[in-house]
Amino acid sequence: MDYKNMEMRMVYAHTLNELIEENPNVLCLEADLAKASGTNPVVMEKHPDNFIDIGVAEANMISIAAGLANEGKVPFCASFTCFASRRVYDQVTISVAYANNNVKIVGTAPGITQGPNGGTHMDFLDLAIMRAMPNMHVYSPCDQFELRAVMRHMAVTKQPTYMQLVRSKVPVLREESCAFDPLKAVRLREGNDVTIVTTGYMVQFVMKASDELAKEGLGAEVLHYPSVKPFDGDALVESAKKTGAVVSVENQNILGGLGGVVCETLSERRPTRVKRLGVPDRFGEVATEKYLLDKHGFNVSHIVDAARALARSR
Amino acid sequence: MSASAATAFVKEDYDELARKLRFIITDIICGAGSGHIGGALSLVEILITLYFRIMSVRPEEPRWSDRDRLVLSKGHAGPVLYVTLAEKGYFPREWLPTLNQDGTRLPSHVDQVQTPGVDMTAGSLGQGLSCACGIALASRLNKRNNRVFCIIGDGESDEGQVWEAAMFASHYKLDNLVAICDYNRMQIDGTTDQIMDLEPLADKWKAFGWEVFDIDGHDWDILFSTINKAVAVKGKPAMIIARTVKGKGNALVEAKVGSHNIKVPDKKSWDEYLDACGCRYDLPYCRGE
Repeated sequence: MDYKNMEMRMVYAHTLNELIEENPNVLCLEADLAKASGTNPVVMEKHPDNFIDIGVAEANMISIAAGLANEGKVPFCASFTCFASRRVYDQVTISVAYANNNVKIVGTAPGITQGPNGGTHMDFLDLAIMRAMPNMHVYSPCDQFELRAVMRHMAVTKQPTYMQLVRSKVPVLREESCAFDPLKAVRLREGNDVTIVTTGYMVQFVMKASDELAKEGLGAEVLHYPSVKPFDGDALVESAKKTGAVVSVENQNILGGLGGVVCETLSERRPTRVKRLGVPDRFGEVATEKYLLDKHGFNVSHIVDAARALARSR
Repeated sequence: MSASAATAFVKEDYDELARKLRFIITDIICGAGSGHIGGALSLVEILITLYFRIMSVRPEEPRWSDRDRLVLSKGHAGPVLYVTLAEKGYFPREWLPTLNQDGTRLPSHVDQVQTPGVDMTAGSLGQGLSCACGIALASRLNKRNNRVFCIIGDGESDEGQVWEAAMFASHYKLDNLVAICDYNRMQIDGTTDQIMDLEPLADKWKAFGWEVFDIDGHDWDILFSTINKAVAVKGKPAMIIARTVKGKGNALVEAKVGSHNIKVPDKKSWDEYLDACGCRYDLPYCRGE
């Protein structure tokens, strides 16, 4: 299949079909957003017995998934990030994480990618609140191939997990054969002047920024964290020792998410100057991605400016 | 009565077991210094009937795949499940007085990770019936014939998620699911009539597509025959509205709104609660005092 030219949600659906064919215990759960997740009709028609639509009842979906997981099923539950995280936070906390039931939660259309649905649906907190939950792993793959590797890992590990899923097609950044190890950051660029830490949807923008910095003679080391939790602190500390300057870039509120874990890690292990880029503690709104990136100060040129300023202030 | 399932029902023996378990529930809650006594005492006959007369389980193999499952969605009633599981032999009776003590495996609210025989964690109200739906659906997908029981509270039924699960269970025709509502008509802040009236409760469940039974939740014969009828329902889930008395069997708390959670500040108070059981039993454990 031509995953490279596919929307991420279609990659999600087709990969889910593969996982179901390899292990019939894998299930696809939806809460009336199966078209938005890509699984209607791809999974629904091919594996109707493994496809369960719960209706507009996300809390019910998560607790049902916990019961299914308790019996050895591997339910993948998808909804918009706002509903897959904040709306069901108590169900995820108790029925899934505290009870250690093997549920896979997929938050679709993260952050600014929620566009036309606006402030009610645009969620900038899911990485932060999911990361703050014991027993929970939190992933954010950056492209089609990494998404497949992450999903394969999720299907074979007994581990409550939350994964962000960008729905649109994104530029391919990883090899088709790339592996996923939640304990390892992915160093996409080597550099000595500044470290840029990012995850998920923002990786493509950070790569462009590092190209721009290279034109200026500044070497940016790009660390991508497909797993925000567990967090590979060693990779960050090693890079910070080398560059002495760290910029974090995320499609999230700068409070508590990737920028949060970067600051926690460095302040304890290697105090380093940090600049966090993302949404500065604001709600979302109906807007294009470009408008939001520009408004909140984390477009490519903002990343370049922040990295340059930090690199020169060392 | 021995820990193995009784082969013949002798009412006097079951009455005696219920009195004994109520005494132990009272003692371990007093030992913990506080606890949810009212909603534990109201479930004694229901849990004894399930575990000693209805459910197919193996205490020596708590996760046996073909066992019948129980989700105690009103997870704060943990103590009544613990005394029943200990009586069945899931774990030593010596564990019972560790209720809510540091490092215990018997927490106030039921925990599948901690306690052998607890099929599902519960405590944040409203989630357990959904979990039971997932378990029942998995049983069907796995082509197992086990039954899934779920006990919800009446106060818990204020939670919207209960009704989401109610819709799901009937839409998916989960006839391997039997729910029991502990209808003692009291919640923390007052009676259910005062705080959030549930009536007409049976009609609500019927309207949601369930087969509904409305019974006395303390009558051995009615409980046994009704649960069997509920298990036999085909094509839809079954709800047993069990009319119970909160705090039943302990004169200090019986039928009292304040019985939801008691504080037991000292030995004198502890003794008063034990006396209020109306009978004394030798406790099947020693306290490390």
